[in-house]
Amino acid sequence: MEFKYVPTTCPFCGTGCSFNLVVKDGKVVGTAPFHRSPVNEGKVCQKGANANEFVNAHDRIKTPLIKKDGKFVEATWEEAYKLIASKLGQYSGEQIAVIGSARASNEDNYALQKFARCVMQTPNIDHCARLCHASTVEGLTQIFGSGAMTNSISDLADTNCAFIIGSNNFEAHPLIGRRIMQAKANGAKIIVCDPRRTATAKQADLYIQQNSGTDIALLNGMMQYIIKNGWENKEFIQNRTLGYEEFKACVMQDKYSLENVSKVTGVPAEDIKTACEWIHEADKTAAVYSLGVTQHIVGVDNVCSVGFLQMLTGNMGKPGTGVNALRGQNNVQGACDMGALPDSLPGYQKVSDAAAVKKFEDAWGCKVPAKVGITIPEMFETFDKEPSKLKAMYLMGENPILSEPDIAAIDRALKNVEFLVVQDIFLTETSEYADVILPATCYAEKDGTQTNTERRVQKLRKAQEGPGIAKNDWQIIADLAAEMGHADKFAWKNASEIFDEMAALTPLYGGMDYDRINSEGLQWPCPTKEHMGTKVLHAEKFNGMPDGKAKFLPIEHRSPAEVTDAEYPFALTTGATIWHSQSGTMSRRSESLNNECPRSWIEINTEDAKELNIKNGDVITACSRSGEVNAPAKVTPDIKKGVMFMPYHFSESRVNLITNPSCDPVSGTPELKVCAINIKIPKEA
Amino acid sequence: MAAKGDMVYAWSTNEDMLAKGECGGAVTALLKYALESKMVDGVLTVKKGVDLYDAQPVFITDPADIAKAAGSLHCGTLLLPKLIKKYFNGAKDMKIAITLKGCDAMAMYELAKRNQINLDNVLMIGLNCGGSVEPGMAREMIEKKYGVNPDDVHKEEIDKGQFIIEYEGGEKGIAMDELEEEGYGRRLNCQRCKLKIPRQTDLACGNWGVIGPKAGKATFVEVCSDKGAELLNKAEKAQAIATEPPIPKGLEIRGKIEKSMFRLADKARAHQFGALGDGEARLKFILDETSRCIKCYQCIENCPICYCEECSTKKSHLVAHGQVPPPFMFHLIRYSHIADSCINCGQCQELCAMDIPNSLFMHALQVEMEKMFGFTPGINMDLPVLALVEEKTERARLSSTGTDQIFNIFK
Repeated sequence: MEFKYVPTTCPFCGTGCSFNLVVKDGKVVGTAPFHRSPVNEGKVCQKGANANEFVNAHDRIKTPLIKKDGKFVEATWEEAYKLIASKLGQYSGEQIAVIGSARASNEDNYALQKFARCVMQTPNIDHCARLCHASTVEGLTQIFGSGAMTNSISDLADTNCAFIIGSNNFEAHPLIGRRIMQAKANGAKIIVCDPRRTATAKQADLYIQQNSGTDIALLNGMMQYIIKNGWENKEFIQNRTLGYEEFKACVMQDKYSLENVSKVTGVPAEDIKTACEWIHEADKTAAVYSLGVTQHIVGVDNVCSVGFLQMLTGNMGKPGTGVNALRGQNNVQGACDMGALPDSLPGYQKVSDAAAVKKFEDAWGCKVPAKVGITIPEMFETFDKEPSKLKAMYLMGENPILSEPDIAAIDRALKNVEFLVVQDIFLTETSEYADVILPATCYAEKDGTQTNTERRVQKLRKAQEGPGIAKNDWQIIADLAAEMGHADKFAWKNASEIFDEMAALTPLYGGMDYDRINSEGLQWPCPTKEHMGTKVLHAEKFNGMPDGKAKFLPIEHRSPAEVTDAEYPFALTTGATIWHSQSGTMSRRSESLNNECPRSWIEINTEDAKELNIKNGDVITACSRSGEVNAPAKVTPDIKKGVMFMPYHFSESRVNLITNPSCDPVSGTPELKVCAINIKIPKEA
Repeated sequence: MAAKGDMVYAWSTNEDMLAKGECGGAVTALLKYALESKMVDGVLTVKKGVDLYDAQPVFITDPADIAKAAGSLHCGTLLLPKLIKKYFNGAKDMKIAITLKGCDAMAMYELAKRNQINLDNVLMIGLNCGGSVEPGMAREMIEKKYGVNPDDVHKEEIDKGQFIIEYEGGEKGIAMDELEEEGYGRRLNCQRCKLKIPRQTDLACGNWGVIGPKAGKATFVEVCSDKGAELLNKAEKAQAIATEPPIPKGLEIRGKIEKSMFRLADKARAHQFGALGDGEARLKFILDETSRCIKCYQCIENCPICYCEECSTKKSHLVAHGQVPPPFMFHLIRYSHIADSCINCGQCQELCAMDIPNSLFMHALQVEMEKMFGFTPGINMDLPVLALVEEKTERARLSSTGTDQIFNIFK
């Protein structure tokens, strides 16, 4: 009997916990603690603990499938490659859209963006970071010169004050929530701002329940109060920032007085004062945020405003401070780093920078489109409204028909795709639209790396063979490139060789290799083999900014795209539960997780429910300008009156049937956190 | 010929093992012999994983591979017995030798009395243990207290009341007392532990009491069962090991070491249990701490007492599904179903995603219940007072009579 532990990194959220996969006679049969991880020290949440359960699910895709007469039939790799090569060969570069995957490894995403740019000659590559933290990448790059979480997860335990806004980390990033609880045990004050009194909010010393979509008003109000009291860090502002006067003029306007801000946000002025006092009194304050900040039409401005609070109070560049953007999926940081973005080559080297493009052209030995491509929302909008411009799509490991807003529009768009390739580990709601489906190995079946939210590059280690004839994502891409006549550029023998090619072209990763990241990983930037990685960004200066200084900007509060009115009187917000991940493709196949949380729900404030005559558990219909969806009501005092909440994991109760497709104009991130709805009570059948 | 109750110094006759194994490599040699002689089909023990701070379970079936497991890892905080239940069918259809610290040995008995492990098929090699250190904490301690880069350390040991490291360029030891006063050192449950020499195994092995010319070159072996005597005698006859009687002064020293550890444990218990408070204050403390629970189930998953197929915490009429934090009933079920059998292995605390001091609560309850009912878990096959040992029978009794107690504790 063979029995072994294989340490690997979790396939669920961006925290990047590690655990051991327990392997018996060549099959993954369980998980076990891996104490050695500096991120989670052997501890895991329920998703990590059960991350073995979906791996050998009976319905993994085992062979390529080709749609013939509306039905999928099994095919050989040769048939699939030939068909794809001939079809894709018919289109010009810009007629093709490519979507990478925040689930897949760095190596897989590097291979895919190289395939898109090199073989397809298309600039149109993006992935689901667009949906979550594109606002972070844009916003933090604008003001700090780098679009990532500035500090480290373990750092949070050392803060004296955690200012948490729009992050239910207890459920979405539980092992980061643990660090915040460690800080609390050490005496730190915890402030949580969220329209829902979440599991995270319940741990707060001060809970601020602002109206959905009023974050800038809240933050500007706080900053005005801080300046009025002379609590700003004058030395930091003077030495390390630019643009302060203009910013100050903006936040000092009367509309951001405590009284006015209190009206807009629905938060008592006293609580806003208390938050400011605690931040002022704390030696170190860490700001923590997630999708509650980014998924708005003002997502980028929200992100910048959180940054300004930290600049204003000098809480940057030291452990226990910083702007801690918590990334959603296991490798959404890495997929961005690898250049699965329409404007960036690996390492955020811009396609608009001729020198960068030339560098990649020389290294790859081919032409690279020197043009900013289109984002995911633009891709679907084009397929929907101007199908003559876009013809084909190559989709790796994403499920947009569940995850994108306004599903009706996505449905029209996917039906307009002339040739759709979907590469995944399971059949998904999206793969139904495909012409060819390709079976990929999952995290437990491949070597590779992924990068967590604190920029730590960690290893995935193969524990078992994939199902049937499934292949690693990068291998499929390399084979296909070879079929299309580019074998020489994709001649990797293993994942390590891809990593080395990437690292040689990507200064952020320049000093890393598989040996160096073996036990604890390394945090970028790590430019040389001697460099020990970077725990805290911007310690001395803001690299990548003019004069190395962070930039203040005047930012005004703007209302959400959809405001409530007589017809649609409630604001709907969306989010995750601890039991599931994203569109549920993996977590809902886990019996342990799905038994605890088998169905969707809609949270309604107790008073609203009373007025509407809705009882806990009643199935109700939520209607918006986009559509309608049914779910059982969960009546709770924990959600703000006038606000409702639905989780986004459930295909049988798709919240994105009703969400609105308005996006942040800069980042393209949709406003999934505010949508005006009304409630209908279905008539008894 | 050694018999149950005897004590010897033992060492490997193999030059390589003698040099590389801990204390003369006797344990390595015994395990190798057990495999070679087909006394067992496999050995479940611990090896070094990605580095010295990573202990990894390993199942060895080829005697040639036994050297992989040589040496002790004080940053190894694993508990092996539940692996036998989960992945080796409770040793019901194969013979397994296993190395066991005190908490592991206790866990073996508690699982065995619940029919989850067949002890007849297990050869238990006990290892004296003065406590272990969480790997993350060990690295932090080495960096901050020793001023040494933890990656430069190539050996660590606990000896003469000190945690000692050897690293490129030197050796450094700091008294455990001092470390523990500053919140470093052994796990809190190890500090409370009073099972330092696991005499309920077949052979209890360690270095305490080896003095004279054999100091550091032999293992002190206490023969605790006939099965243990058989292994030792056969291994000696096959010239896999050599033995000699212990020096009387060594016996005395061994006794003193054990006693001093008990004193330390009593002190730690008084201190840690004292901090819990009494009555309402204790309840409030427990309520506050458990309010962080995210219901990851790691306390249950890793508990060597939990084995029920029909876990009460998963019944939605007792604990609502999907709720985070779960209702307090979740924790109450754990206390009432486990506390009398808690062996203080610390897993429920060490692996808690929210650092809830679960083991402290449970152990405090166990100590109180032991005083009340006289049941000591983990030392023999005696049945507990309250915990379910025959799940199906006892659940049936509960549903028909309203009580799940094996004994009427109130009579």
